[in-house]
Amino acid sequence: MNKLYIFLKYFFIVVWTVFVVAPFLWALTTSFKDFQSVNGGVTYIPWVDFEPNLEGWKVLVKSPAKGGVDIIEPYFNSLFVTCTASLISIILGTLSAYALSRYTFKAGFVKNNDITFFFISQRIMPPIVLSIPFFLFLSSINLLDSLTGLIVVYIVLLMPIAVWIMVDFFNKVPREIDETALIDGCNPYQAFLKVVLPNSIPGLIVAGMFCIIFGWIDFFFAFILTFTEVQLLPVKIVALNSSVTPWWSLSASALVSVAPLIIVAFIVERYLSKGNLSGAIK
Amino acid sequence: MAKIDLSNISHSYNPNDPNPVYALNPFSMTWENGNRYAILGPSGCGKTTMLNIVSGLVRPSAGRILFDNKDVTDLKTEDRNIAQVFQFPVIYNTMTVYENLAFPLKCRDFSKSKTDERVNSVAETLNLKSFLNSPARKLTADQKQLISLGRGLVREDVAAVLMDEPLTVIDPDLKFRLRRNLKEINEQYKTTLVYVTHDQNEAMTFADNIIVMSEGEVVQTGSPKELFERPNTTFVGYFIGSPAMNLFESEASSNDSVKINNTLIKTHTNLSNLKTKKIKLGIRSEFIKIAQNQNENLVDVNVEKVEDLGNYKLITAKLGDFTIKSKVTRDTEIPNSKVKLHIPADRCCVYEDNKLI
Amino acid sequence: MDLVANNLSYKPDDQYHLNEVSFNFKEGNLYTILGRTLSGKTTLLKTIAGLLTPDSGEIEFDGKNFLKIPVWERNVAMVYQQFINYPHLNVFENIAFPLKQRKIDQSIINEKVMDALKSVGLLGYENRKIQELSGGQQQRVSLARSLVKNAKILLLDEPLVNLDYKLREQLRDEFKNLFSKGLADETILIYSTTDPRETMELNGEVIVLDEGKVLQVGPAKEIFENPNSLKVAEISNDPPMNIIEAKILDNQIRFEGIDVEAPQHLSKLTEEGLKIGLRSSDIELNENGHEFEVELAEISGSETLLHLKRGDTKIIVSIEEVLNFKIHDKVKINFKIDRAYAFHADGKLASSPFGGLNG
Repeated sequence: MNKLYIFLKYFFIVVWTVFVVAPFLWALTTSFKDFQSVNGGVTYIPWVDFEPNLEGWKVLVKSPAKGGVDIIEPYFNSLFVTCTASLISIILGTLSAYALSRYTFKAGFVKNNDITFFFISQRIMPPIVLSIPFFLFLSSINLLDSLTGLIVVYIVLLMPIAVWIMVDFFNKVPREIDETALIDGCNPYQAFLKVVLPNSIPGLIVAGMFCIIFGWIDFFFAFILTFTEVQLLPVKIVALNSSVTPWWSLSASALVSVAPLIIVAFIVERYLSKGNLSGAIK
Repeated sequence: MAKIDLSNISHSYNPNDPNPVYALNPFSMTWENGNRYAILGPSGCGKTTMLNIVSGLVRPSAGRILFDNKDVTDLKTEDRNIAQVFQFPVIYNTMTVYENLAFPLKCRDFSKSKTDERVNSVAETLNLKSFLNSPARKLTADQKQLISLGRGLVREDVAAVLMDEPLTVIDPDLKFRLRRNLKEINEQYKTTLVYVTHDQNEAMTFADNIIVMSEGEVVQTGSPKELFERPNTTFVGYFIGSPAMNLFESEASSNDSVKINNTLIKTHTNLSNLKTKKIKLGIRSEFIKIAQNQNENLVDVNVEKVEDLGNYKLITAKLGDFTIKSKVTRDTEIPNSKVKLHIPADRCCVYEDNKLI
Repeated sequence: MDLVANNLSYKPDDQYHLNEVSFNFKEGNLYTILGRTLSGKTTLLKTIAGLLTPDSGEIEFDGKNFLKIPVWERNVAMVYQQFINYPHLNVFENIAFPLKQRKIDQSIINEKVMDALKSVGLLGYENRKIQELSGGQQQRVSLARSLVKNAKILLLDEPLVNLDYKLREQLRDEFKNLFSKGLADETILIYSTTDPRETMELNGEVIVLDEGKVLQVGPAKEIFENPNSLKVAEISNDPPMNIIEAKILDNQIRFEGIDVEAPQHLSKLTEEGLKIGLRSSDIELNENGHEFEVELAEISGSETLLHLKRGDTKIIVSIEEVLNFKIHDKVKINFKIDRAYAFHADGKLASSPFGGLNG
């Protein structure tokens, strides 16, 4: 019984690990292959199974005139849009979450919980429902095909995530801590900035991570709301596809695009495991 | 309903080290069926570890636990057939009292009639009969605590009821009611009750056997009376009783006497075989009274303050450099700042190295 | 500088948390609010602090309308029953926080924080993290933070209830010392508790609160000796006062077939539905007394508490001795009837042995 349990446990862990790691391995090896190696059957080990070359990677930085796709500009566009939208979403989201957590709102039958749900309900709808109103809205204020326009749309999409996570987090910070700050001479703004916020850093980091991830991987709105002037990374990567699918450069671009997320995850994980955050609120 | 044997139990986080650090020093103990036990000590003394070992949440690093001579050391909590009550009542808010009590039976697929019978019998004992159909959340805190307990009792043949500070959230005047209920259950079901607390009053009122713990060690086991009158160590003297036992550092003199501030106090302890002469004299403030017509063991003190605590008065006085406290009845007139107090010889406890001689 | 409240009421849902509460607190005094859980103690303290706004009523401090002044300008301090500190700051920073808020010179802050640390016995702990402290130490930090401000009003909301028993005893002694030192001269101290013994030990002016209503106000001794109603007698005694339904006829108190000669202060009460109240310590074992059956015997320190029964009457007796009884044993007891209280059918005090009302 016990041995079977341990066997099954490790079996599933191994299966799961393969499931998660394999695509990365596949993408990594494929990015160094050429047409022949890709179509020559399943091969994994460079120099033994196939001869690696850098063609797939070179395409990413070559100008279109020379038959490449320059992803550097879309890359920075994506970084700029995601970071700006995430930052603004976190600031606005945290403020509204604090209000929702600490004050009682009432408008007829609508109460705090309903408002919180209203925020998150936008994420429940299929994106296609929102696409037309967003398109019309951006075109009416002349922001179609612009970074500013994308940032506005992304704030609308990301803020609910921040609100949702932070409401839950603030509810776990004892109210008495704010009250003590008020008694100690802070006005409500100071109490929030000096006492509540420093104790909510773990929540802010989690919310920030989710915003960055969801912002970074969005393809749908980036595709619909931009044309020629600006392009974001996901759209550009898809544009790589032509009559012959260039698996090698697609793989290379996929790796480049997840890189920032992996870096963020590593930093946060380090920070979390140092115990700086977990013990802040008992 | 079981006898519980704890044999050579110890718990350590590094048991294989040549010098293990014990959270619980090695000890053996037997809890008889149907008795009431209290584990008493300040926080961090190991009392919760001990309870967790009995309940099965912690596996001791050495020793065996036997329920009715059956080894349960490797059994999990749910297989040990014990009921547990925690600091805060655990009730299902959405259910009625009946549903709450019936829940453990429902999970075990008991028949309707059997469930009815058990729930009714438990509700009867716990005085919850008239509330069976009310929503559990509407009950008072002590009744909720009874429901938590009742959910453990509906299963037949419960080996023991383990309670971890069950009265913390209960108001003082309701505590009486609950304590009485607990004792009635003990009388009726002959269940072994184990009660963990830091409050000596609760331990004393509840248990007929108290296990006093300090820093991972069982320092004394005994009836409330023994603990109160003959504390084994100065720690027990300090911890049991409010105010704590009066302790005077002093030296043994001839004829089993102890010298305190130039007065010889006779004791009934044989002090002729001491290693050193350094001892501590302990005496409960309850036993020190204003001298009437005794002619020995009298001390002259300067009264510092007299507190009227309702049911009694507490005198705090200076005896040389020592502070002495005496509990007297409320109608005692305390003459003026100088008072003669009587220290009865048979109530004196003498400690060497903080251990009772 | 007095703190005066008039008819404070607060009813956030269908129940009163405060119901027409009025008081007049004077500078340099200690006030104890005694009441059970949910009696409105915390609500009252929060209202004084300014964290809650009452539905109606007024509070004035030093002649100024307190309700118009926001919390952060009120100069009050509060210690909660939970150990509330700022988790992201160390001990020193926690205590210095209210002073920094006032933009006080750093050297003065250092001096004051060290003084406060000293008075709560935490010198040497200033660089510790809050999470590294025990419950008792956390509560001391909380107390130090409220002392350091020299607040005019110091609110303590059951500050000892979550602490270990012996620690509670020790901190209570420290509180008494702190209160009796200079602090008390210029401060209004308000201390809430559920424990009648704590009330007696603190020996201040007591406000008995129940379901948001003030039942009685007076010095601790007065509340103990002359509770104005059954309810107050219940709340302010531990073990609770024995209540016996009795009749007084021909100068005899009669219940459960027992006749006891009525003492002078009770002899004139002949009404129906009278209830006699007698403390557990005012009943003694006596060979020639009345027979009762033991329902339960509890030993508490040097006392034995006997839960006794005769007919429908149940009483608790505390005896200054350690005695062993079994359930269903018969004991004989005597009532120190000259210490008995009488309450009208509506629960109001009819007569007290200490001279309340008809006394």
